[in-house]
Amino acid sequence: MSDCILSVHGVHVTMGTGETSVRALSDVSLSFPAGAVTLIMGPSGSGKTTLLAVLGCLLKPQVGSVMVNGTDVTAAGEEERARIRRDQIGFIFQSFRLFKALTAVENAMLAMEISGKKGPQVRAQAERILENLGLSEKRHLKPDELSGGEKQRVAIARVLMREPKIILADEPTASLDSQAGERITRILRDIAEEQQRTVVMVSHDEWLARFAEKVVGMHDGKVVEPPI
Amino acid sequence: MRLALRNLLHDPTRFVVTSLGVAFAVFLMIFQGSLLIGFFGAAAKVIDATDTDLWIAPRGVVCFDFAATLDSRFREIAQGISGVESVNPISVNFVGYQIPDGQHRTVVLIGADPKVGLRFPLPYLPDSGGALEPEAILVDETNVPELEIDAVPSAVEINGRRAHIAGIVHGFSSFLGSPYVFASYDDAARYSRLGRQRAAYLTVRVARGYDVAAVKDKLALELPEVDVWTHAQFERRSQWYWVGKTGAGAAILTAAVLAFLIGLVLVSQTIYATTMEHLEEFATLKALGASKRFTAKIVLTQALVFCAMGGVVGVGSAIPVVKLAQNAVAWIYTPLWLVPVVLLPSLLMCMLASITSIRTALSVEPAKVFRV
Repeated sequence: MSDCILSVHGVHVTMGTGETSVRALSDVSLSFPAGAVTLIMGPSGSGKTTLLAVLGCLLKPQVGSVMVNGTDVTAAGEEERARIRRDQIGFIFQSFRLFKALTAVENAMLAMEISGKKGPQVRAQAERILENLGLSEKRHLKPDELSGGEKQRVAIARVLMREPKIILADEPTASLDSQAGERITRILRDIAEEQQRTVVMVSHDEWLARFAEKVVGMHDGKVVEPPI
Repeated sequence: MRLALRNLLHDPTRFVVTSLGVAFAVFLMIFQGSLLIGFFGAAAKVIDATDTDLWIAPRGVVCFDFAATLDSRFREIAQGISGVESVNPISVNFVGYQIPDGQHRTVVLIGADPKVGLRFPLPYLPDSGGALEPEAILVDETNVPELEIDAVPSAVEINGRRAHIAGIVHGFSSFLGSPYVFASYDDAARYSRLGRQRAAYLTVRVARGYDVAAVKDKLALELPEVDVWTHAQFERRSQWYWVGKTGAGAAILTAAVLAFLIGLVLVSQTIYATTMEHLEEFATLKALGASKRFTAKIVLTQALVFCAMGGVVGVGSAIPVVKLAQNAVAWIYTPLWLVPVVLLPSLLMCMLASITSIRTALSVEPAKVFRV
């Protein structure tokens, strides 16, 4: 494990306004080490996905700061936050969020095309990453032709294309069977360890804890120890 | 813009339906535009066939077809004005027309002399150096069935006087319901029984070196009891009368405007629906860090592809349908320039529609990606 490049300090997030408003995060301060997997656990509505959205520069907290690689992103504008997401953060979603019209290799390449990079080199890189993830034979298939585990590996390939320092995974195993889920988790742990990336996973699955160096519990928008 | 194109092709049914929506809008605009332009053209076709500079018309005459008669002295006065090279009369009269089997029709008999212009349809004698065939008339090809013409030449009667059909002309279909019949000025005067002195219009050719507007002003000054128009003014006056002051013209104009509006709504709706269908993907793109420009380019590319496909299909289907429609509406006409004139607003429509879609795509909340 090395330095941490992702942290939040005194973060408060309230959803909605007036009487219907809900405090989603309350005074959350955490740091996430590089080269390790941090698992955030908690019941539904505990605020873990909101925390992930804040960490991923998708949601601005009303109070507090979010430090990404030494920059307080709460002060950044929309386009600047988009650039930070593009350059430094990779997302893995429970529902994969692959583009149905694109093949596996094209889905992986899209991550680079967003940054304006394309061409044979990008394709070769995508094919290499898919091969490393065991998807060489399926690189020309579209998401509908892939299993859940394969889709999630394509999503991981899309993340790895840009070599982000931070990987945020929202329930990455929830849509998978246990075998596929374990394979995905191992891949993420290996990426964290071998490439010194900061991996933050949100999950209900307690068994994931054995793959995490750090486990954070959340309840009612607050960090709790030990995890519930 | 692989994603933009692949998204379109991923759902071929939707792609075809949307393209057809745009095609239908383009088709409507081309067809209604052709009706409107054809109507404009038909309303001034006879005026357009002359190449004289000025028209002297009875005061208040609103269009070529509904003429009155001019006193013969106007011709003499006009002839005496400096800058006037020649004054040539044209007659226009509704007359009775009888075919050999005894059936009657009402036709618009137009009489003129060759000096009104070489494009004006007149029964020239072959190899005669411009002499007109006596007692000869010309009719438009679209009126052949209505006038029951089996052969050319064939004998007919006009207002009880003998005439013969000497030839068939093209592009002079009347939308009045009464066919145009062309004859020499003298024959027309005889058939109409009004005599040579009672012309409907006097066309004036301005002598070389004289300013047309100045001669027009002089004529107007010397002939205060009549109207003096330039060729273009009289054309426009006739056209706007038919388009603006008659129910038929107003209906065609309204239909053309409606076609444009329906097209706008159709295109907007289809492009917006396509964007809404992919809203989740736009949220994912935003989450992955796509810039506003990248997202906007996807929507715009899709809109342009729809426009191109719809445009090709719309134009490709409208032109043969217009040709087919000429059997029923002879004066409907699609000039080549109408195609870009329709495609440019279509492109504009697609871009306008995509602006709304782009705004929706850009305003999508990226945090949406965490919801299953």
